[in-house]
Amino acid sequence: MKKDIIALLLAGGVGSRLSILAKLRAKPAIPFGGIYRIIDFTMSNIANSGIDVVGVLTQYKPLSLMEHIDNGRPWDLFGKTRLVEILPPKTGEEISDWYKGTSDAVFQNLGFIEDFSPEMVLVVSGDHIYYMDYNTLITCHKNNKADVTIGLIRVPMRQAHHFGIASIDRNGRVVDWAEKPRKPKSNLASMGIYVFNARMLKTALRESARKGGTDFAKDVIPLLLKEKKRIFGCEFNGYWRDVGTIDAYWNCNMDLLKPDSGLNMENWNIRTNLFSRGEIGAKPSAYIGKDARIISSLVSSGCIIEGTVKYSIISPGVIIERGARVIDSIIFHNTIIRKNAFLNRAIVDKNVKIGANVNIGSGRLRPNITLGMNLSTGITVIGKNTIITDRVVIGKNCIISSNLNFSKTKTKYIQPGSTV
Amino acid sequence: MNEIIGMILAGGRVDELLTLTEKRPKAAVPVFGIYRFIDFVLSNMMRSRIDNVGVLSQFRPYSLMRHIGTGEHWDFIGRKRGIRILPPYKGIKESDWYRGTADSVYQNISFIEEFKPQYVIIAAADHIYQLDYRKVLAFHKEKHADVTVCFTKSKLKNPWFGYGIIGKNGELVAYEEKPEKSPSDWVSMTVYIFRTELLFDSLKQNANAESHEFGRDIISNLPGKCAIYAYKFNDYWSYARTVDMYYQTNMELLNGKVNLNQWQVCTNLIEGCALKDRIPARIEGQVVNSYISDGCIIKGTVINSILSPGVVVEKNSEIINSVIFHNTVIRKNAKLKMVICDKMCDIGESAEIGTFGAEIPSKEFTNLVAGGITVLGKETKVASRARIGANTVIYSGKFVGQGEIAPGSVIR
Repeated sequence: MKKDIIALLLAGGVGSRLSILAKLRAKPAIPFGGIYRIIDFTMSNIANSGIDVVGVLTQYKPLSLMEHIDNGRPWDLFGKTRLVEILPPKTGEEISDWYKGTSDAVFQNLGFIEDFSPEMVLVVSGDHIYYMDYNTLITCHKNNKADVTIGLIRVPMRQAHHFGIASIDRNGRVVDWAEKPRKPKSNLASMGIYVFNARMLKTALRESARKGGTDFAKDVIPLLLKEKKRIFGCEFNGYWRDVGTIDAYWNCNMDLLKPDSGLNMENWNIRTNLFSRGEIGAKPSAYIGKDARIISSLVSSGCIIEGTVKYSIISPGVIIERGARVIDSIIFHNTIIRKNAFLNRAIVDKNVKIGANVNIGSGRLRPNITLGMNLSTGITVIGKNTIITDRVVIGKNCIISSNLNFSKTKTKYIQPGSTV
Repeated sequence: MNEIIGMILAGGRVDELLTLTEKRPKAAVPVFGIYRFIDFVLSNMMRSRIDNVGVLSQFRPYSLMRHIGTGEHWDFIGRKRGIRILPPYKGIKESDWYRGTADSVYQNISFIEEFKPQYVIIAAADHIYQLDYRKVLAFHKEKHADVTVCFTKSKLKNPWFGYGIIGKNGELVAYEEKPEKSPSDWVSMTVYIFRTELLFDSLKQNANAESHEFGRDIISNLPGKCAIYAYKFNDYWSYARTVDMYYQTNMELLNGKVNLNQWQVCTNLIEGCALKDRIPARIEGQVVNSYISDGCIIKGTVINSILSPGVVVEKNSEIINSVIFHNTVIRKNAKLKMVICDKMCDIGESAEIGTFGAEIPSKEFTNLVAGGITVLGKETKVASRARIGANTVIYSGKFVGQGEIAPGSVIR
């Protein structure tokens, strides 16, 4: 099947700075905005841009991701000429191994690309929150007769050292490139979105691999720059967030509640897979009880809210009992919050049970002992399936692992900044 | 070969729901926010492991067909599972519109024969209840019955039900369809299990009769002539035959008589106006004892109401004791009381609907619209500052200008 362009979505990321949220799932599979997962944004962007063949490169904990993408139908990438294929590492071929990096993952799947003999290959990462029509980038690419076109965005100078940084001339051609430079020459950061000339990409990947290269930003782009290939930058001005840290993840979720944040999902046509395995029936609409009080929050189907919810994002099937207060928090699917519990700036993963009168996120502000400044703004994270017994007090900046049962440890107090 | 297959009677329009069934069969009328009536029987069939089901439909079946789709939402997809819509068809010999519920099954005998079932369960698509039909089948076998009819107790006396007189051993002594005076409290749920041969015989006998309804023409003739038994069902059941009953059914959800979280009813979440691609409900206003679906934006006040996906309630508006279907917009300062509002209506700023004249009955629909309910058909547009009295019925697509509509009016 011949295609003009196909997309390869890099979804293998470990996301270690997201701590326990990414412990049991790949970073792109982390829930976002109540009913979505992070990858939905990239998947929807691809589908909305009319690109209809997508390879999803997975490696780290791919199961929830694979289940979520399923047959691609939620994004209409399902049919005789439209498809999503999961591309995990494989054995049995000449070049086959675990993926050693972003470019290595694509290199090991050149066969997938060749099946469609495309003119162009879009390589995108699956862990950013944004809305973009990739056709802008493609048009840019064609007009410049480019070999590679990179999506670029202006970031605050003090954050530039976290990104791949490009310098461009007045025609938009990339003249300098540095991955996570200590002293950035500009604040034009790579969004991890590339349009490649397919034929050139194949040659470049082979050559880069021969020299031991495994990463697009670190190896392939510098190699192409050295070879004087036509690399262009295409600047994007919309909302774009890297949600690589707990702070960034929390802030980006909270942007959903701010009318002028630029994260305008109502108009973005972001799609998700509403099916979840093992659940027979559809979740009924959210029930808001007689004494419930809700201020500026998102509430999903299947929730039963009897308590108070302020500035929070509540995923499907969450129960919040009478007298409980949930403030500035993000609660994932099917978590139960019992009577008079208090949650402040908490991120609570799926199927957690929080007992009556539990207090999470009050007291002193002390940076987390393991994540340091990466968890220092008072957010506490509770891992999947954990059971917190009645009257337990958990301080700010804490990380409570998945699958813990407080009734076994008899713990009653977790001091601020702890990791359990 | 299947032991039992299901036939769902989904053709009926049910005039008593007025504008709600103006353009769709009752089976496709939205209920409880995200469901349609037919979801309950389909979920029951699925949960009872009845793997092959035919849906008999005739009146404007498109919304129903789209809703059912491949049947995957009820798990009716697979090598040995399936669901078929059975519309009227033309054949070489017999061909005609369905002349009644019994005739619709009669015309599809060949569909049933394909599966060579020992039993056929026939159930109406427009009742709300949860029942594992395997219990009924076990009862049917235990009694060595030819026919088993499900009954439930109802104190409601109205002209829409079929009633059974049940003997000591559960045998059905007599059956009366829509009698003037109800002979018992046992009301038919329109769920029948037939021994296949007896079903075919009864249908063939009925084929040349004047009328072809299961209750009136088949079931009522069987007591005394074959082994016909009554299965007594004691849980929640609703028929919602009239606008008033439909409204009461919705209020029963709010009073906690229906536990949807426990029932786990399946529905199609991705077709038409369903949940697909909608963000969770955005709640900024005040909500009390209400069901709010995904895609709703609530900036005003919602009390004792059920809102389907995509309803927008703007600032300072008030929705009280109401049922609002998909994508309806209620603008600033508007006030709705006891309103059933179909899909995609636009209620202008400061409009008032159902807020006065609840004591004045409907001029035309005395039995159907009572107690202050106002019904707005699909895509009704109400001008800002319009005032619409209670017990009013407005058919779909109408524009209501400024000024006052007297209570009890009908606008066609």
